[in-house]
Parts: sequence; structure tokens; C-alpha cells
Amino acid sequence: MGDWEWPLIIFTVFGQIAIGIILMLWWLNRNRDLESNLFRQGVYVSGGLLIVALLASLFHLGHPEAAYRALAHLGSSWLSREILLFLLTFLAWIYLFWQSRQQKSSRVHGSVATTITTAQTAVGEQLIENRSLGLGITSVLGLLGIVSSAMIYVMPRVPAWNNVGPVLFFLLTTVLLGALCTLVLGRKLLQTAQKKRLLQASLGCTILSLLVYVIYASMLSISIEGSASLNFLLSSPLFWVRALLGWFAPLFLLVSMLKNSQVNKTNLILTVTLLAALGEVLGRALFYLSAIGIQITALF
Amino acid sequence: MSKQLGFLHNSEKCVGCRGCEIACKNEYQIDAIPQWRKVFQLHEDDFSLPTRMFFSMACNHCANPECLRVCPVKAYTKRADGIVIHDPNRCIGCRLCTMACPYDRPQINPAKRKVEKCNLCYQRIDKGEAPSCVTACIPGALELVEINDSLDQKTGILKTLPGLPSPNITTPSIRFIGPTQGKQIRRD
Repeated sequence: MGDWEWPLIIFTVFGQIAIGIILMLWWLNRNRDLESNLFRQGVYVSGGLLIVALLASLFHLGHPEAAYRALAHLGSSWLSREILLFLLTFLAWIYLFWQSRQQKSSRVHGSVATTITTAQTAVGEQLIENRSLGLGITSVLGLLGIVSSAMIYVMPRVPAWNNVGPVLFFLLTTVLLGALCTLVLGRKLLQTAQKKRLLQASLGCTILSLLVYVIYASMLSISIEGSASLNFLLSSPLFWVRALLGWFAPLFLLVSMLKNSQVNKTNLILTVTLLAALGEVLGRALFYLSAIGIQITALF
Repeated sequence: MSKQLGFLHNSEKCVGCRGCEIACKNEYQIDAIPQWRKVFQLHEDDFSLPTRMFFSMACNHCANPECLRVCPVKAYTKRADGIVIHDPNRCIGCRLCTMACPYDRPQINPAKRKVEKCNLCYQRIDKGEAPSCVTACIPGALELVEINDSLDQKTGILKTLPGLPSPNITTPSIRFIGPTQGKQIRRD
């Protein structure tokens, strides 16, 4: 049976939210019309989350001061690959941060000027292009980092992890919480159609997450250790709280918001985000707690 | 196929005295936790007749070591003679190897916050001596052998015992001489 791996729970969930926000900003910016304030807020919040996630990951180690050595085995260790990709993601985020500062300073200069010259327009367009490029690179690196995170757990010893489940769970958390947190950040800045799209993405992820979990759970019973993981999950009150907070309540709220055109209601957006985030944190805790490995069953 | 050293454990001879465990602890002055070597008792009902049998297990110096694959700091290396060595100076205590090994042999030392495991007394082997556990085994149940096809073709050599994970996961370099069943005579 696994443990409450708080450093890993914080690292994976916060890291996934951070990358999810960048991914959503990239998607919202596909027509190069992302609101500048939302871009800046999104970059700041995702950076903060990414820093907290990276710091939290150190507390999992017996010797955090030697964490730099974790880059040494890129040839076969997914943990090495994960660290590299997250560091590259952070470097790409620094570029985004710099872009957001550039954008701010160019707007200050622009407001002083009485007329906008062709050169200023060209600079503005270049900034928007750079922003889009930065968002794209950060998103791709971040997604690769998340896949690497998930692949760490794909090991033959733990049947509950030795499948496509970890990759799907981690990616679904990224899109679900990324979309909802972007919605919270942009609740006053996004257009109604954009909010609707983000809510639809969240609803899709919640439904998919539930379906994937049902298939995953049905596959667990193939092995003895997988069955033990399944029994643990089904008999744990935590799992049912996770199901209620992370699947059923958000599902009800998201359907209701989309159906009744309540996409602009801030209270509902905050509530559904909080519930989904709590559900995902509990789900990640259960991911570690329910890991039962193949082991020696002889007497001690 | 390159050379692969490993253990041959004879469950017929093992009396479960745990002398091998103690010899290992003595040799390396290991703390109470972790246990590099451990003696297990087989379930009595794993056989057609109730049988009390033991086996002793340390790191199995697997042909496909999962610990080596997952370790991010290259703390594990596999020598030309097949011994899997863990270098505690490189270990950062991420515990991934403890999750990946189906035999639970790499173990965290809570005091040092690093993983430790049996290195098959490679210093002794390099000097032409047997590992301390093998030397200490009074009934001679534990032997250092070369794992190869000719060993596997001998009668009575087993790759696994009841209660052990499938050898297909990591191809452990340990072989067993399994317990033979005696006759049960009923006195009516």
C-alpha cells in the first residue's frame, strides 16, 4: 500500500495546472486575439504554480541538495527526462514572463504617444507573434514533461500503474484544471463564447475522466495486486468523496451552467473550479495510496 | 551470454537460522533497518503436504534490473560478472528503485535517507573469497554460482518458489533447490 505522498501530489497537480493554463492561453490565442491582461495574469499565476510545484518535488527526496544529479540518466530513467523537461518548461516560462513585461512596457509607451506609427504597429504584431510562439513552446514542453511524469509510474511491479492510466489521468487533469483556472482568471476578461468553450472543454474532460476511470477500474481486476488496489479504492470513503467532488458535482454544475446560459456567473465558476481541484487532489492522493506492488508473499 | 553471478539456495538444507542475515549485518555494520538479506518462510499450505521450509533472499542481481532502469542518478551499475552495485554516494533518496523492485530488496535507510542494498560482497569476490552470507551458512544452503543454461538444465533446479513474484519481471539471478515432499504416514 502506498503513502500520502504530499510533495508528489503538490508537484504533479500544481505543475499540471500551470501547464494547463499555458495550454489554454495558447488555444485562446489561436486567432492572435488573446486579451493582454489575461495573458499577463495567466503567465504570472502559472509561473507561481510551477515554482511551488518544482520546490515541492524536492521534499520528496532524501537529499534535496543533490537533486541536480537527477538529470544523469536520460537514457532510461523517466524521472531524469521529467526533470529535464520541467526545467526546459520553466526556461520557456521565463521567456513568456519576459514577453509579458515587454508587452506592458510597450503599452506604457504607446499610451504616451499621440499617434500610432507603422513602426509601432509592426512592433506590436511582432510581440503578439512572439507571445504565441512562447505559449506554444511552453505548452509542448510542459505536455512532454507531464507525459514523462506519468511514465515514471508505468512499471511492471505495480499493475495498477502499468498501463495507459497514469498518462491519461495526468493529461486529463492538465486540461480540466487548466481550463477552469483560466476561466477563473479570465472571468471578467473573456468573451462569453470563449467562456463557453472553456466550460465545454472542462465538461468533456470530466466525462472522459469518469469513463476512463471506469474502464481502468474494470481492467484492474485482471491481476491479484490490481484487484487489491480496486478493493482498496472501492472501500475507501476518500474515493467516494473524490467521485462526488471531482466527477458528479462538477458534472452537474457544468451541465447546468451550459444549459441555462450561466457561463458568466462568477460564483458558479469559482465553485466548480474549487470542487474539481479538490477532486483532482484527492484523486492524486488515491493514485499513490492505492498502488499495490507485486511482492514476496511468503511469511516473514 | 555474458557471465552472471548469483545465488543458489537449497531449501532442503536451510533451517531458517538467519545466520546469513546476521553475517551480512556484521560485515557491513548495517542498521536494524534496512535488511539487505532476509529469511522468509514458505507458506505451509503451498505444497501438497504441510511443509516447513525457508528461503533466504538478498538482491537478486537481476539480468534485467528494474532498479537500474528507473534510477535517475545512475547510482546502479551492472558489472561484467552480472553483479548489480548500488553506489550510495550517488543516491539522492528518491525511492523509485524501492517501488520498482518486486523483491523489495533496495530499501531506504531512514537514518541516512538513502537507499541501500546487497552488493554481493564484490570486494570479497574480487579477492577470491565467498560472500559473507555464504561463508556463514552453517548447513551450506546458500552458494555463489554462475547462472547459466547448464545450471538451469540440472535436475531439481528451480527458477522460483511459491510466494515469489514471477521471474519474468526482472529475470532474477537466483536459483532454488526446492523442498521435496516427504511421505505422510498415518498411524491408525
